[in-house]
Parts: sequence; structure tokens; C-alpha cells
Amino acid sequence: MSNTSSDTTGDESLITTEVETGSTQRTPARTAVAARDLNVYYGDEQAIDDVTIEIPEKRVTALIGPSGCGKSTFLRCINRMNDMIEVCRVEGDVEFGGKNVYDDDVDPVALRRKIGMVFQKPNPFPKSIRDNVAYGLKIQGYDGDVDERVEESLKAAALYEEVKDQLDSSGLDLSGGQQQRLCIARAIAPDPEVVLMDEPTSALDPVAASKIEDLIDDLAEQYTVIIVTHNMQQAARISDRTAVFLTGGRLVEYDDTPKIFEDPEEQRVEDYITGKFG
Amino acid sequence: MATDNANAGGFGEVSRVRGIVFEYLSFGASVFGLVALGVLLVYVSIDAFDLANASPEWLLTYFLTLVVPFLAFCLYSANDSEVTRRALAALGGGLVAVAALFTAIEAVVAPIPRLNWQLAYLFVVAAPVAAYLAYVGSRGRVAAVGFGLLGRLVGGAAIGLAVGTLFLVFDELVWFLAYTFGVVPAAALYAYGRWRAADRAATAAIPVGLVGLVTAVFLRRVVTVYPSDLVIYLWTIAIPVAAVGAFLVVDRSGRTVGIVVAGLPLTVATAGGFLAAGAGLSAPTVLLVLVLAGVPTAVYVSRVIEVGDGIVGLGLPILLAAGVAAGALIVEAWGVPAPDPWLDLGYVTEAPSRTPEEAGLYPAIVGSVIIIALVAVLSFVLGVGTSVFLEEYTPESGVLGSLTRLLQINIANLAAIPSVVYGLLGLGLFANLLGFGFGTAVTVALTLSLLILPITIISAQEAIRSVPDDLRRGSDAMGATRWQTTKNVVLPEAMPGIFTGTILALGRAIGETAPLIMVGAATTVFSAPSSLFSRFSAMPMQIYAWANFPQADFRYGVVAAGVITLLVILIGMNGTAILLRNRAERGN
Ligand SMILES: Nc1ncnc2c1ncn2[C@@H]1O[C@H](COP(=O)(O)OP(=O)(O)OP(=O)(O)O)[C@@H](O)[C@H]1O
Ligand SMILES: [Mg+2]
Repeated sequence: MSNTSSDTTGDESLITTEVETGSTQRTPARTAVAARDLNVYYGDEQAIDDVTIEIPEKRVTALIGPSGCGKSTFLRCINRMNDMIEVCRVEGDVEFGGKNVYDDDVDPVALRRKIGMVFQKPNPFPKSIRDNVAYGLKIQGYDGDVDERVEESLKAAALYEEVKDQLDSSGLDLSGGQQQRLCIARAIAPDPEVVLMDEPTSALDPVAASKIEDLIDDLAEQYTVIIVTHNMQQAARISDRTAVFLTGGRLVEYDDTPKIFEDPEEQRVEDYITGKFG
Repeated sequence: MATDNANAGGFGEVSRVRGIVFEYLSFGASVFGLVALGVLLVYVSIDAFDLANASPEWLLTYFLTLVVPFLAFCLYSANDSEVTRRALAALGGGLVAVAALFTAIEAVVAPIPRLNWQLAYLFVVAAPVAAYLAYVGSRGRVAAVGFGLLGRLVGGAAIGLAVGTLFLVFDELVWFLAYTFGVVPAAALYAYGRWRAADRAATAAIPVGLVGLVTAVFLRRVVTVYPSDLVIYLWTIAIPVAAVGAFLVVDRSGRTVGIVVAGLPLTVATAGGFLAAGAGLSAPTVLLVLVLAGVPTAVYVSRVIEVGDGIVGLGLPILLAAGVAAGALIVEAWGVPAPDPWLDLGYVTEAPSRTPEEAGLYPAIVGSVIIIALVAVLSFVLGVGTSVFLEEYTPESGVLGSLTRLLQINIANLAAIPSVVYGLLGLGLFANLLGFGFGTAVTVALTLSLLILPITIISAQEAIRSVPDDLRRGSDAMGATRWQTTKNVVLPEAMPGIFTGTILALGRAIGETAPLIMVGAATTVFSAPSSLFSRFSAMPMQIYAWANFPQADFRYGVVAAGVITLLVILIGMNGTAILLRNRAERGN
């Protein structure tokens, strides 16, 4: 990557926000999740078309692309949430920690305990804030100090200060942005290795969204974060690597984020990023 | 200009005639239905309480000592001069209107049987005004406290009576052993696990409890020496209830209050139990009633005093009791004729008889209570189990999916089958084939459970289906198993809906007679059942039998008293269930 944002002139710059990518300067990372020749079908319709990708450990990887191009489907392949959809059929390998998660001897429930997931719409359980965060610990039979873990997770999700006096009140009483951070706290409480996020800020206002963006930055110190977003600026701001999917479920380009946003190889990607199509 | 003129003549009109006609027709139909039901209930209560023979002086006395203080209490709580003015206007204006209208109708049209204008005033004006004021008043803190206290007293006593009734057929010695060797160790382990955050201890609680229960059943055959009944109930029910009460207040109000809240009702109940034995009453029942009414009351009183708002409301039970006592004294001193109600203490505590004055409903009440308890447990467990299986575990497509849909259609059809047919099924299956006996509690309870099972299943399915899928996916993504998702997320969220369905279905079960007749339940039994396999009757059966007696006193007075008892128990049961449901809703 030769360009930095200060080098680009107004004409060449594809997006108008500053691109801040200090975190890419870290040591090269090992692969956390990899897909090889992945094809996914819903009935006869193909949603993922021959995708091969290696996602680095402890980095933020953004998945972008037009609606219906299979980003969510790809995300759900990683923790096998696609198993819940009866018409869905997966071919090819998805490796997590060097093991194909679609092997017969992999228990999807055990797999999901290592992979946290945050959904587009905040979906806290109708339980107290404490019970929401402790949920994963409870179902996994955690025998350490639950309260301590709850506090740590809430702090990591930048929510603790706002709710520390009302841990016993319902998670549904929080604002949308707080609920989403609660869901993030819930996802990271059992200390997963990967956190999947499917458009986590699309239902939130800019202030709440920026809080979550800051949070994602911090999370990458400990976790591998894979995030789907429709917001180009967001992808540019927070991610280290960006994968661009285009219609038909094809992975068109996958590179370091600044490269994708400043100098993509493919004309189609440039068109998509600048809003000429999609 | 052109656009200005286009609408100059207004926008025209769209006909709403059909909507308006429909609105008034449906309104009229529901009012007619309610009024008809209301008139029926008025006459039934007049018959049950022999109000037709109440002299105006008697009515006036109790109106002044009981109704007026109650209304004043509500008005005081509402503390709203507008409401007071309206209430007084309604009471005063209603008096004139009812009296005038009543005399006019009697003079012009025809005399109204078994009703005088004073009674009509009570039912048509005083009762609705009292209900309205109770509602308005309960929004104020004072009346809310008063009703809360009254509810705990009455509800606790009712639960105490129900528990006492259940032990007529369930062996309290087995319960004693099961409690001592199963429940106590399991609860102790669980509490220890929570306290020390040792999950393994908490998980061990359930197996330990089960082993204890099995041991108890085995020990019951071996052990022959037991403590007295009073000690058994004290140890297995009164002390734990008091402990829970103390536990509830000790955090907030400190140890002294905790000791008082647990100790006072316990002492009173124990003393009551001993005295009851001397007075010829059932000592365990007295103990249970006093403890189950006393502990919640004490907890509530301590809370109210702690909060310090609306303490005056605690006087409501005293106010009402004083009103009854004063009324009785005045009537006695004045010597006015008093009604002789069919529905009195003797009616609910004695066996049926050939003479109407001595007829009682006690065995049938016991039978009904036991059946309701069994049916509630059976249909709830089976209904929830089946609906969880159908909703959460069966696939939607494939061979299994088609099978599920077939099952689904069958369940919907089963809900529409007449109850006589279920009676026939119960007769063949439970009474004959499985040999549970004709007309025994087990046979009847199983038959009725089967009868309402489709309704319970369908409503529980509906409730489970209404839990958002987001929550399930959220739980699944955390790595929860299907069972964990169901238990921790789906069921708590669906519980209020499941409760509602079960309550409605139970309401149907308690009033059934046809299947009871089919499985051979007796219309009349003369002693309360002593085991699940003894012959017994239920309230609707007994009432039906009395309705065919030749004496008019049976057909009017005794039957009316039975109907009122049935309704009171039904409403009490539904009320409790609704309270439970609201608790579950707020718990979320
Ligand atoms: N449960 C499902 N059943 C059938 N087809 C599905 C299902 N979920 C997704 N699809 C199809 O798969 C394709 C990809 O969907 P997916 O949800 O992965 O897109 P996406 O990139 O996440 O879109 P968006 O940005 O709108 O969320 C779409 O054509 C969609 O119609
Ligand atoms: Mg999507």
C-alpha cells in the first residue's frame, strides 16, 4: 500500500472522510478463519459463489457489498447458524483454528461457544442486564466469579458506567444504542475467539454508532472481529481488511482497507464504493 | 385558482351507515347478554342468601355499618372532591330513581317477584357504585394498601384451606418423609451452591432431591412411628413458609423485623392448632390457614410500615370486621327479622342430606378442589410439554414435518369434540382398561385433563410462537442447546400466554358434568374422599342432582347456594392464576 490519505488529491479520493488506519501497522497476523471454495445454496438459488478467503486473527475485517449479495449468509457459515435454515445447503470448507467446521465431528453448539455474534437489530433477552451478560456463562456452566466477568464485559463494551447502578433492571429498558452494546457485552462475556457482527450500527443514530465503532477498535486487541456494514465510511474507519462481495455471492476483491478504498483493482468495486451502482 | 375551487363544495361524504349499524348492533348484543347474566346472578344470590326475607331494617343496618364505611374508605383514599360529589349524587339520585321506577312498574305492569325496591337499590346502584369507588380508590395509596392486605388475608386463608383439603387424599406421612429426606437436603444444597457460587452443589440439588423422594416412598413402608399431625405440618409447611417470609423482609428491614414477621404468625398458628383440637376443629387445617394467611400478611404489613405511605389503609380489615360485628349487635338488639341464608358455614362444611336445611356441599367441594388441582397440574405439564415439542423440536419440512402437520390438525379437531365423547373415552380407557375405577378422582382427573388438553396445547403453541425469533437466534448464537434456549428464553417469555390459556381451559373443566356422568362419578357422596381411588363427587354433579329434587327449597335455595359457591371458587381460582400470570409478566 503506497498511498496514504494525505497523498491522495481530491479527485482520486474515492470517499470523503479521512481514512485512519493506524492499526494496520501491527505485526502480520495468523489466519483465524478461512473459507475454501465455499458455495452456499438456498434451495436452488445460489447465495455464495465459490468464495475463498483468509481472515486474519485479532484484526477487524469488514464485509461490504450491495444488498442480497450474501454477506450475512457468509457470516452465518462461520458459526454454522445456517444450520437453522432448513433449505440452506453449504459446500466447501470453512476453517476455524485450522479445523473445518463442517466436518462431521464438529458440534455446532460447541463451535458457537467460541464465536460470538451480534445481530443487526439489538436483541437483548427480556431479562435483567446482569442476566443478559451472564447468559453465555450460565449455559456454559462457567464456575468462576460470574459478577466479575459481567463487570469486565460491560466495561469492554463501554456500557458499565451507564448501567452500573441498574444491573438488575431489564435489558429492554435501555436505549437502542445501549441495547446493542449490551448485546456486544453478552457476546464477549464467554471470551470467544471471534466476534461476528452483522450491521451492528444500522439501527442506531450516529452518536451511538460512533461509540460502537470506538468499541470495535478496542475489541480487535483481543478478538478477531468480522463485521458486515453498508456504511463505507464506517468500513474505512474501523477495519484493517475489507472484502467486497458483489451480486451473485462472489467475492470480487479482498485487500487491506486503504487499498480497497483508494486504489481498488476492479472497476466494479470502485463503482460500488463511489456509489455509482449497488 | 382551479385547485382552490375544486374542493370548494367540501369533499363530499362517504357512507358509514353499515359501520354504525354494526357498531350499535354489537353493542346492544353485548349489553343484553351482560344484563341477562346480571339479572340471573342477582336472583341466584337473593336465593342463596335468602335476601327476599330480609327486612328493610336489616338491610338498612348493614348498609350503614358495612357499605357506608367501605364507601367512605374508598372516597378517603381517592381524595378527589369531584369523585365524592359524583358518588353522592349517584347514591342519592339512584335512591329516588330506583324507588320511583320500582313502585311504578309494580303498580302499572306487574309485581316483581322476590325483590323489593331496597334490594333493587342495593344491586342496581349501591353495588356498581361500590365497585367503581373501589376501583378509583385503589389508585390511591390508602385503598391499595387496604385491598392488598385484605387480598393476602383472604387469599392466604383460601390457599391454606385448599392445601388442607389436598391432604385429605394425599398421604401426609409420605410427604413428611419426602420433605425431610428430599426437599430439605436439596434446598440446602442449592442454597449453599448459590451462596458459595459453587455451581456443582446447586446442580447436585435435583438428583439429591429425587433420591430423597424415592427413599421416602420406600421408607413409608418400613417406618411405623411418626410425630403427630400438628408437628408434621408445622415442620413441613408452617416453618418453611415462615422462613421464606423472614427471608423476604430481612434484607430490607433487618433481623428483628424478620424474626417478628416469621415468629408472630407461627406462634399464633401453633396456638390456634392446639386450641382447634380442643374445639373439635381440624388442627392441621387451622394451622395451615393461620400460617398461610398470617405470614404474607405480616410481610405485607412490615413492607407498608417500612414505606410509610398509606398506613391508614391497614385498617380496612378491622373496619369491615367491626362493621359486621356492629351490624349483628344492632340487629340483635333491635330484634328485626334477619334472613336465614342457605349458603352458610354449615352448607360448606357438612355432607348432603335429605332435608334442605341440613344439606351441605362439603364432599363435593373437596372433590372439585382435588380434581382441579390434579387437572391443573396434569394439563399444564402435558400441554406445555407437547406444545414445546411441536413448536421447537419438530422440523418444518420432510416426512416428519408432514407428520407434525397431521398431528397439528388432529389436535385442532380434538378441541371441537363434545365432552360426552371424552367421557366415553375415559370410561373405556381409564376406568375399564387401566382399572383406575369408576368415578374415582384419578379417572375423572385424567378424563378432564384429556378433555382440555387440546385447548391447552393450542394456546400454549400460540404463546410459544409469539416469542420473537430474534431471541431464539440470539440464544442459539451464544452456543445454547435447543433445550437451553427453550428453557431460558422461550418458556419464560411464553409463560404468561400459556397461563392464560390454561386458566381458560381449567374454567371449562371445573364446570363439566357430562364426562363425569359417563365415567361414573357419583352425584351425591356423603363423606369427603379419603384417597385418590375412593368414590367422590364434584360440585356441578351435586348441584345437578339437587336441581331434580321435588322440594322447592332444594331447587331454589340449595341449588342457588351451590351455584354461588361454585362461582366463588372458580373466580378465586382464576384470580389466583391471573395474579401469578401478572407476576410472571412483571418478572420479565
Ligand atoms: N433464509 C433464507 N431463505 C432463502 N433464501 C435466503 C435466506 N436468507 C437469504 N437468502 C437469499 O440469499 C441471498 C443472500 O442473502 P443475504 O442475507 O446473505 O444477503 P446480504 O448480503 O446480507 O444482504 P443485506 O445487505 O440486505 O443484509 C439473497 O438473495 C436472499 O434472497
Ligand atoms: Mg444481511
